[in-house]
Amino acid sequence: MKTVSSLLDNEWYERYKKISRLNIRSSIYDVTDRCNLRCKGCFFFSSGEHERAAEEKDVEKWHGFVEKEMDRGVNLAILIGGEPTLCMDRIEAFYKRLPTFCATNGLIKIPRDRFPDMMVGLSLWGDAEDEIALRGQDTFKITSANYEGDPHAYYLYTITPKQLGKTEKIIRKIRDIGLKVHMQLLSNDEDVSGFSWMPEELIAIRAEMDAMLDRYPDTVVSSKYYHEIITTGVMLGRRFGWNECPSVTIMRDNREPQPKRLTNFVRWASDLETVHRCCTSETRDCSTCKDGAAHMSWVMVNKRAHIDTPESLRNWIEVYEMFAKLYQFIPW
Amino acid sequence: MASANSETVTRIAGIIINELKLEDVTPETFDGDLDLVDEVGIDSMDLATIALVIRDEYGVRIDEDDYPKLTTVAIIAAYIDTKLAEKE
Repeated sequence: MKTVSSLLDNEWYERYKKISRLNIRSSIYDVTDRCNLRCKGCFFFSSGEHERAAEEKDVEKWHGFVEKEMDRGVNLAILIGGEPTLCMDRIEAFYKRLPTFCATNGLIKIPRDRFPDMMVGLSLWGDAEDEIALRGQDTFKITSANYEGDPHAYYLYTITPKQLGKTEKIIRKIRDIGLKVHMQLLSNDEDVSGFSWMPEELIAIRAEMDAMLDRYPDTVVSSKYYHEIITTGVMLGRRFGWNECPSVTIMRDNREPQPKRLTNFVRWASDLETVHRCCTSETRDCSTCKDGAAHMSWVMVNKRAHIDTPESLRNWIEVYEMFAKLYQFIPW
Repeated sequence: MASANSETVTRIAGIIINELKLEDVTPETFDGDLDLVDEVGIDSMDLATIALVIRDEYGVRIDEDDYPKLTTVAIIAAYIDTKLAEKE
């Protein structure tokens, strides 16, 4: 029988033991239906999710809801939108009780006296040209001023096909303001011309992401195995899609056979009653989904499949560590 | 918790081997003291599946709060034996 220690040297075994009992149980919450940007390709608006439910405005109900989520075993709240920072009181209902991550466009600065160590993910969709084309403004100018040097913030850099050959410039800008960056790929839910991935572009961007990780290891939070999986959509010979995705809301998961999945995962709408199908758009074709967190989770929940060779297990450890760092379960 | 009946240990090892599709090991050769998380690599979802099989076979419900302490086959077997004794 292959055991973990038989596949790893002491250093890697110690790394494994630091994460093996974390037992992260996340769920995702739409904090509001509103946003102060309207980005082309944002799945929330393009799929009409902002109209699925009327947001709950009574903050006391948010406090009660979070208590119930804790009873359900959730130990990581991932707040998304609309734009969560439009509703700081709702964010606080989570932050007071749970490890909380807030995804934001960063235009409104999260007050650190109120949320001193909450992890903040700042969305960035490329250089100024791409940002203006897709989001209507160059958000980096504002977000870099708001968060420069913040140890609990990092950029979620959504790479588009137009960013090929340009990622280094962005990563250096992020390094220069003392932040870290995690890379993911645009899924182009609104079919914006020129922003869908071609096979040869995915091969090229994988090489570029690998090079960025090699060149800026203190700035880029990533792993080459993650790059492989997100660009190929293949893990251990299996193809990502509806039958494999780990991030399906438990009440909506009628798949047979049931794949390995996130325990009790739910993505809640902001009325605190409606649930969405999965961590991203219900209208998205799962076979072309590039959601970074779903692909990371896909690796993480398939641990035993990676207990096969030293390389495959080390790959699993690196992806799990990346996730644990991004959500502050282990230090950078 | 008292030490487990060796029959229970062997049966639990068999359930785990079957559910996790472990290769090159039998219920008789499985080391009952092997750490299931640090060495076999099971996660809470695996444990939940194993708990369902145990419930069906022994009529013993494993409380989810107890999962973290059920770290070896021997400990799981002792847990079941204790629960069964309490029923009698």
